[in-house]
Amino acid sequence: MEAAAVEIEHLSKRYGRFEALREVALSVPRGSVFGLLGPNGAGKSTLVKSLLTIVRPTECRGTLLGERIGHRRTLAKVGYLPEHARFPEYLTGRQIVGFTAGLAKVPAKQAKRRAEELLETVGMKDWADRKNGTYSKGMRQRVGLAQALVNDPEIVFLDEPTDGVDPGGRIEIRKIIERMREEGRTVFVNSHLLGEVEQVADEVAIMAHGRIAESGTLESLTRRDNRYEIRTLGPVPAEVRAELEGDGLEVAGDRIASTAADAKGVQQLIDRLRSRGVVIREMKELRFTLEEVFLKAVQSVGKEESR
Amino acid sequence: MRQFVAVFVDALRLLRARALFWITLGISALAAVLYLSIGFDENGVTFLFGASGFESEFLREGSPLAEMFYLGIFSMIIVNLWLSWIAVILALITCAPVFPEFMAEGSAGVALSKPISRIKLFFYKYLSGLLFAFLQTGIFCAIVFLAIRLQVGTWNPSVFWAVPLVVLMFSYLWSVMVAVGVRTRSVMASVLASLLVWFGAWIAKTVEEYAWTAAEFGEVPAAQGSMRLTEAEQKGWRDRYSQVSLAYTLLPKTSDTVNLLQRLVTVQGQKKFAVSELLNLMATGAPVRDDEVEEALERHSVGFIIGSSLAFEAVMLAFAGWSFCRRDY
Repeated sequence: MEAAAVEIEHLSKRYGRFEALREVALSVPRGSVFGLLGPNGAGKSTLVKSLLTIVRPTECRGTLLGERIGHRRTLAKVGYLPEHARFPEYLTGRQIVGFTAGLAKVPAKQAKRRAEELLETVGMKDWADRKNGTYSKGMRQRVGLAQALVNDPEIVFLDEPTDGVDPGGRIEIRKIIERMREEGRTVFVNSHLLGEVEQVADEVAIMAHGRIAESGTLESLTRRDNRYEIRTLGPVPAEVRAELEGDGLEVAGDRIASTAADAKGVQQLIDRLRSRGVVIREMKELRFTLEEVFLKAVQSVGKEESR
Repeated sequence: MRQFVAVFVDALRLLRARALFWITLGISALAAVLYLSIGFDENGVTFLFGASGFESEFLREGSPLAEMFYLGIFSMIIVNLWLSWIAVILALITCAPVFPEFMAEGSAGVALSKPISRIKLFFYKYLSGLLFAFLQTGIFCAIVFLAIRLQVGTWNPSVFWAVPLVVLMFSYLWSVMVAVGVRTRSVMASVLASLLVWFGAWIAKTVEEYAWTAAEFGEVPAAQGSMRLTEAEQKGWRDRYSQVSLAYTLLPKTSDTVNLLQRLVTVQGQKKFAVSELLNLMATGAPVRDDEVEEALERHSVGFIIGSSLAFEAVMLAFAGWSFCRRDY
């Protein structure tokens, strides 16, 4: 089995008494798009920066692309677009990509060719020779994406890549992320925008107060604590309603909500309703939205914190 | 090497984008042209390409002292006033944002996440900051080199000593600027700190000169000329000299480093340039060398001046490098 792109066994970061990261453990499969979600200040950027040696972790055990976290040479295979990326105003888009290529030790000829390709990919070819100071926020992010890919990385870390970008730009960035996955790269996206991540991520982790509250595939997170909803023809008769509520089921008008691991688990309830002459109009599986999973996870960590 | 080139090319682009760089370069070119406008004819010295001048028995076309006079203007006036004073201030202001801007949020991350060690990145950035002084002095000296050939008729490559000396002098102050810039990420704080150290170095040198004159010659400067000390007072100064000159020893020798140029510049390819000879020529019309003055000017060895200044710079850089490597971005 191929080793994970990122395998964190234990990662902590303290600033004095403040714990920015608390015993974080995480695994990111190779070739996947991984979304790290969390409210502002949850520790998402600190986690990424710790993996990339920008922040010095207090305690760290784990691997990045099979090498220990902090291994300098491994960073040649890593791309990074920081949150609020600030590239010098005096450089053109092409020069920004070239500068990153130089630091990543990409040979000059290769860097030139790659810069050309990438600037075209991100839709900046026509503006590549204009100064960064003249770019809009969206254009800067595109150039940021191009520089993150110039060393042909195996894993790319994108910290809030759509921050401040208009809807059109967001769609473009999503397409670029999908293309990266098709090319076999691992993409680690940090975001507080659930909808963005939901559309591209294969796996997500939810972070709050420096801890990983939830992690897994989108499927496993949204299907957890499955619920089924049964709708009857007309409101549920009062005596049946009282009986069901007495058994702990939620009843509202013509809707009855039940939790069950799978559809087999609700057959007994259906039999019960039919035996009482209740006509069933519809039955459907209710999934949690990522937003609900997110809020639940964040609130649960918040409650633990306040204890 | 690829990383070093990337950082240096970036530094060059930064300079090209700064208006102050071009302003300084423009003034340098103007100063060089003014220098070029000084010439000699059969009667004496001419200024502004012959628009004015004065007659001199010793300073005229083809006279052996003409080159010394011409070099004197270069090493004592232009280098001391322009290259090591005004141009350095402009260079400090131009380069001050280099580290604070590089360390700003969203800026350092890209470089630090690359396969380059922090200490290497720090030194590359530090060295690239010396480019301003190097380019300005280099271009200026190249014009001066041609001017000497045109006006005096000799090729004098020794004028290029100004390049490493001015860069060295700038590097002392740049190290302070980098240390404070890395620590505080404040452009203003780093400019003020470097100017403060520069001013402190100047005060320390003035005090050391006063103490040395008192201890060696038993004289101190007074409102009118100089004042003679008693033997006991002179002995007191001798005893206290090492304490009084401690600040001078520890701080960088900014003006002394640039003044080394007067020891390194040669006249007609071999003769040593003598400040006293030139000063006497200007004052009395006779180029007489004063050995006492020359000895006083050269009382500190090159090794002491540069070595102790580099020790100061090393301490600053060690502190700055340590801070740069230890901090989170």
